[in-house]
Amino acid sequence: MIRINRRKLITTSAVLAIAALTVAAVPAQAFNPSMADPGITGSTIKLGITSPLTGIAAPGYSKIPGAMKAYFDYVNTKGGVNGRKITLVSKDDQYIPTTAVAKANELILRDRVFALVGTLGTASTKALTASTQLSKRGVPSLFVNTGWSGFADKKAYPTTFSILPSYQMEAKIMAKFIKKEYTGKKLALIYQDDDFGRDALAGFKTAGLTFDTYIPYASGSQALPATGAGWISKLKTAGAEVTVLFGVSSASTAALANAYGAGFKTQWVLGSVGGDATTIAATSKNYVPLLNGAKGFSFAPAPTDTTDDYIKKFQEIYTAAYGTTQTFDNNVVAGMSNAFLVVQALKAAGKNLTRKGLISAIETKGSTFASPFLTPLGYSAKAHTGATGYWIGTYGPTGALTPDGGKYTVYTTDSGTGPVVESTYKRPAMPENGL
Amino acid sequence: MLKKHPLITFIFFGFILFLISNRLDEIRVYQGATVAIYAIGIASLILLIGYSGQVSLGHGAFLAIGGFAAALARIHYEAPIWLTFVVAVLAAAIGGALLGLAAARLSGPYLAGTTLALAIGLPSIANQFSILGGEQGITFDIGLPPASLGEDFTQYKWFFWISWTVALITLYWLRNILNSRYGRGWRAVRSNDVAAELAGIHVGRNKVLAFTISAGLAGLAGALLAMTISLASPGVFPLALSFSLATGAVLSGVTTLGGVMIGAVTLVAIPEIALAIANRYGSETITTNLPGLLVSALLILTVLFVPNGPVEQIHAKRAKKGHSSHSLVEISVRVGSKKWSTNKK
Repeated sequence: MIRINRRKLITTSAVLAIAALTVAAVPAQAFNPSMADPGITGSTIKLGITSPLTGIAAPGYSKIPGAMKAYFDYVNTKGGVNGRKITLVSKDDQYIPTTAVAKANELILRDRVFALVGTLGTASTKALTASTQLSKRGVPSLFVNTGWSGFADKKAYPTTFSILPSYQMEAKIMAKFIKKEYTGKKLALIYQDDDFGRDALAGFKTAGLTFDTYIPYASGSQALPATGAGWISKLKTAGAEVTVLFGVSSASTAALANAYGAGFKTQWVLGSVGGDATTIAATSKNYVPLLNGAKGFSFAPAPTDTTDDYIKKFQEIYTAAYGTTQTFDNNVVAGMSNAFLVVQALKAAGKNLTRKGLISAIETKGSTFASPFLTPLGYSAKAHTGATGYWIGTYGPTGALTPDGGKYTVYTTDSGTGPVVESTYKRPAMPENGL
Repeated sequence: MLKKHPLITFIFFGFILFLISNRLDEIRVYQGATVAIYAIGIASLILLIGYSGQVSLGHGAFLAIGGFAAALARIHYEAPIWLTFVVAVLAAAIGGALLGLAAARLSGPYLAGTTLALAIGLPSIANQFSILGGEQGITFDIGLPPASLGEDFTQYKWFFWISWTVALITLYWLRNILNSRYGRGWRAVRSNDVAAELAGIHVGRNKVLAFTISAGLAGLAGALLAMTISLASPGVFPLALSFSLATGAVLSGVTTLGGVMIGAVTLVAIPEIALAIANRYGSETITTNLPGLLVSALLILTVLFVPNGPVEQIHAKRAKKGHSSHSLVEISVRVGSKKWSTNKK
């Protein structure tokens, strides 16, 4: 039997009393949806991004927020947008969905940003969009850096806008190209066996392209030495003359390095995600020359194309901000293009900027925005689709992708059953002063 | 008070939390829910390591099983929230029982290695089955809070209430089971399995049971974690999560359940402290790297100065002063001239 201990009783009571007093002293804070939009004043707009600055996905992608910031700073030196200067708050989510949610919470609830921009990764973006309830709060999430077609669905994600063409679009365009260029050849497909690869399979199916050999791989297994070697022996047995790889950069590296090692020759056709030379170079610069001769897909002008007005301006801004120490690559172009579109959207929303007004401006005028992309933009009141096509090129020994035939021939399509057509889209000229 | 009226204490603590949830801003409420989830996860490890003497470095795997099971139950069978948690506990417990069968034959670094391998391998299995959604994972949406709670009632407050209700019930139940014959059996096995066996305690069965219950509780924490971020995906349960829980258990003191809140609060508070320091002195790099440094430093200090955790230390000090400490179980068996005792002293 436990004796009543007076000292213990007094201590417990004191602790509880202090706890109760503390609770009473904290002011009540209720969520008030009718409050004015946060993150905006007469002279400033605060935006937020959460992306992997460290961790597995950091090589390459970590350059995106810096590139965006460089462009916003440039815009600020030109007087900002409608008189407002832009600040970008950048957080590191390490590509972990749980951390992405925590960081998005900090951005929305603590930093009180006006909108999220350029969040990266399908899982992280899915998690943060649902958990922080972006649509209920009415927080715009502009131009998410993922090719998952679901984010273009306005009903499911009313305040989210895509920027990249979907994986289905890419597969459909790839299928048209393969049917035309490689008729009668033995075809093989290596793909990541998850939503990413399955989106592509759906695209190939819609386009009516079947492969002689299918090699699925589990995400993560591409890092194992045996996996890449296994692919090559399967391709050899099948006698694959053309091999499509729809996977991540580490899968391209594994495939190209093993094929080189085994002396196996095939015409490689790489999806845009896996054909990123910067990410491949982050593994080892020695792998980059293996890209030579492979076919690749892109929707933005090549970073090396200094004849392009947008690339020229972006390069100028980037070099002014960071000097020549950092390579101007695909990820920098992605970041700057994203920031460029954000500025176009803010401009279109007008002087009386509100979150609702911004969303409505993209829905009504988004398809006519100036953009560095060579494909039309699909924004409308019904869909939040970004770029809608690709041009096809060949990789050189430095990993640079140059358009076939010396000029960009752009194909455009949708994520459904629509046809793949050669685009007649005339890209708007670079606006004055790069705004 | 906790010892004499445990149920009243838990209810009172719940009431205080209810008051707190009405007065904190949303981000603190979200963090509060995370504390509850960590508390369950850490408690499950304390049961395993501190009471049954089995080490697990891969508890994140059981959180993953729970998270995915709950999300699947919700998506495919539209199960009510409470049922998703039951499914999570059962699924993870089955996983735990299977591993427990192997674990009962292993000990020390071999067991740690096995559980570690599980934590590395298991979340990636999600990529093998399309039903689990691959890298992108599957959404776990429990829906909006009941309309009767009012318009101003936020989603995070709803998560907070659910997490803490579940956590308090779990901790209360766990406290009782640890003070029951099962708890005493586990402690006896941990201290000296030969003595325990001779005293009639079935060592293997006890170890498997501890593993099963611990995994079930971890599964519950996993379901709550998936709920708060609305997603179950391999990335939600990285290896770092398993290490965080093990760290939390050490900071709490693995031999007593009493310190569980210390570990849980520390794990949530450290990134906040790092952020405050980063805001004052530096950049986002500090926010990313400082928490690891602080946690490691705390871990080393704990092991050096309070190896069994702060709560156990207080108990020990008071026992020295002559206060009655919590009852220790000692089983000693003498066969001929040899004596085995569960109390190593």
